Amino acid sequence: MTDLEWILFIAAGLCSALSTLGYLASLLMKKVHLARVSSWVLAAGFVLLSVVLVASVFHPEGLRGFGSRRILIIYAWAIAGIYLGLQFKTKTRVLGAFLAPVILLFLIAAAGSGADRNLIPIAWQGWLTVVHLVLAIAGEALFVLASAAGAMFLMQNRLIKHKKTAAMIRFLPSLGDLDRLNAIGLLWGFALLTLGMIGGAVYAAFVWEGAWASDPKILWSLAAWAVYGILLHQRLAIGWRGVRMAALSCAAFVLFVGTALVIRFCLPTIHSFI
Amino acid sequence: MIVLVGLNHKTAPLAVRERLFAGCQDPEAGLPGDLLSTEGVREALYLSTCNRIEIVAAVEDAKATDALCRYLARQGGLTDEETALCLYAYEGEDAIRHLFRVTSSLDSLVTGEAQILGQVKDAYRRALAKNATGVALNRLLHRAFRTAKRVRTETGIAANPVSVSFAAVELAKKIFGTLAGKKILVIGAGEMAELTCLHLMGNGAEEIVVANRSAAQGSALAEKFHGQAVGLDALDDALRDADIVISSTGAPSYIITEDSAARCLRKRKNRLLFFVDIAVPRDIDPAVDSLENVFLYNIDDLQGIVDENAKNRRREALKAETIVTEETANYVHWLKELEAVPTIVSLRTKAEGIVSQELEKAQNWMGGLQNGDREKVEALVNGVVNKILHAPVAVMKEESAELDSRDIVAAARQLFRLDD
Repeated sequence: MTDLEWILFIAAGLCSALSTLGYLASLLMKKVHLARVSSWVLAAGFVLLSVVLVASVFHPEGLRGFGSRRILIIYAWAIAGIYLGLQFKTKTRVLGAFLAPVILLFLIAAAGSGADRNLIPIAWQGWLTVVHLVLAIAGEALFVLASAAGAMFLMQNRLIKHKKTAAMIRFLPSLGDLDRLNAIGLLWGFALLTLGMIGGAVYAAFVWEGAWASDPKILWSLAAWAVYGILLHQRLAIGWRGVRMAALSCAAFVLFVGTALVIRFCLPTIHSFI
Repeated sequence: MIVLVGLNHKTAPLAVRERLFAGCQDPEAGLPGDLLSTEGVREALYLSTCNRIEIVAAVEDAKATDALCRYLARQGGLTDEETALCLYAYEGEDAIRHLFRVTSSLDSLVTGEAQILGQVKDAYRRALAKNATGVALNRLLHRAFRTAKRVRTETGIAANPVSVSFAAVELAKKIFGTLAGKKILVIGAGEMAELTCLHLMGNGAEEIVVANRSAAQGSALAEKFHGQAVGLDALDDALRDADIVISSTGAPSYIITEDSAARCLRKRKNRLLFFVDIAVPRDIDPAVDSLENVFLYNIDDLQGIVDENAKNRRREALKAETIVTEETANYVHWLKELEAVPTIVSLRTKAEGIVSQELEKAQNWMGGLQNGDREKVEALVNGVVNKILHAPVAVMKEESAELDSRDIVAAARQLFRLDD
């Protein structure tokens, strides 16, 4: 990262921290305009991250500097982009209170991981890698969204069931909207992750030798893909929706984040840059 | 001075309000004919809604208040007794505060309702068209609108519904998001069910099915909303398609049991389902609420929400009163400054007149002076006059902002013989 990129990155991090505070404050104080301002701040952060990413793709050294830091930035960028796009369409700003902290965590992790560590090996660089990375990450970001919508669904469902007249009911989006968000997240997340995995597999089949298919990260991805696929199937074909879907999405999210951390820190994997 | 005279739902029975309403019935005219020609009235605004009839006026002195009361009494043909009982008259700060409270819906039958602001705006627009307002009322009304806006945005006074049927609609929105395209099933054809339907349809709900034991009564309600009527035996099918179910039969036992609801849920692929049970005794087994994706609210639950909301509104109304007090003080401050302004202007005009008169008189001997010296003399005279006037003008401005400035303004007028 050049100095300029670093400054932009820090600015984006500040934007995301500010918007996290704003969203949480708007949820606690029940002030909508705070959430509105936070959305703009987050949008500014998104633009800054986009600049950082574009700058790094057009870096004279190509993808050489592409390591875990940039990949974590892509995660944050993808979640922010998907959230902002959906918010533009559905006006469910309060979702930001759940997603902005996730974005912030990714950025903090990015800042923490050394710029020169865990780089993608030069031999693996190519457009197929980029496609694989972007699609897989966007798919995972959509799953994050589906799960966040699920968590909010559970909260709202509980409030309405218990006949709570708390202002929270008013502040959280409607159950119908949240269920739709969950569906959108699952459907598009599954589609993008599928494409991303095919991209990765095709690339690996040509380039890598050895038992790449038994890499823990790949097995983890396959498991996640399969579980979300099953959820999607139940949703579309069997008609599971509402509470059950929300609860399962949340459970799947917790499970996969947990196992991803275990793999990341305890097991040897060829995807060590993520 | 600002005065406000009138009557409202708290002070006058409907019969009296009706008479006044009929007496002044010509909204297009803007003001009832001779209001502005009432003695001492400089600017006036006439507000007439179904709950209140009020005249807001900028007047010369307190005598005009009585004149306005007599005017209203004459319009409505009120007896002396009715006038004494029903009419209220506020002057100065009280009148301003009252108008601000009215516009902010703090004085309404249902605190926080939104209509009144529009009605005051209409009244103002009509008064404007008649050139019946001037600097005092224009500013007063703009301040009133500003106060109302602040009350709406800074407090939660209008945030939650305070009627059972609106509470049901709000809940439906919280469950489904939009009501567009949603299907309503009405079981039993009561008045409350009809009202709730009206609100649901008004919010975009699309289709209505009425299931009733008596086909004739059911189809009457169905026809009203261009819906469809079915018998109670077709309830299961109707349940499968419905999103919102409103039940209000007089049946002695449950019409929808947990079993029947669970059965229909499977058929409808677990789509969200909202039951509103406003029947006593209840029509829907409370155990239905424990099913996934099903929400059941009975009349007590809804009433509980309404009570809670009404309590919130009362709490928010206290905050709103603070805003009203603040804005009233602002306006009074401005108005008092305004009282001093004409005197300051005439004082300056008088001084300038004296200066130019004296310079005129001195033409003879000043003719001998050189051009530059002449200007110097003029500047000297003007300087002396300004220095002398500075203190009284400053005191009038200061005092007018702080206290009732009338005494000082009057003293200044007398001392400088401004009224001669």
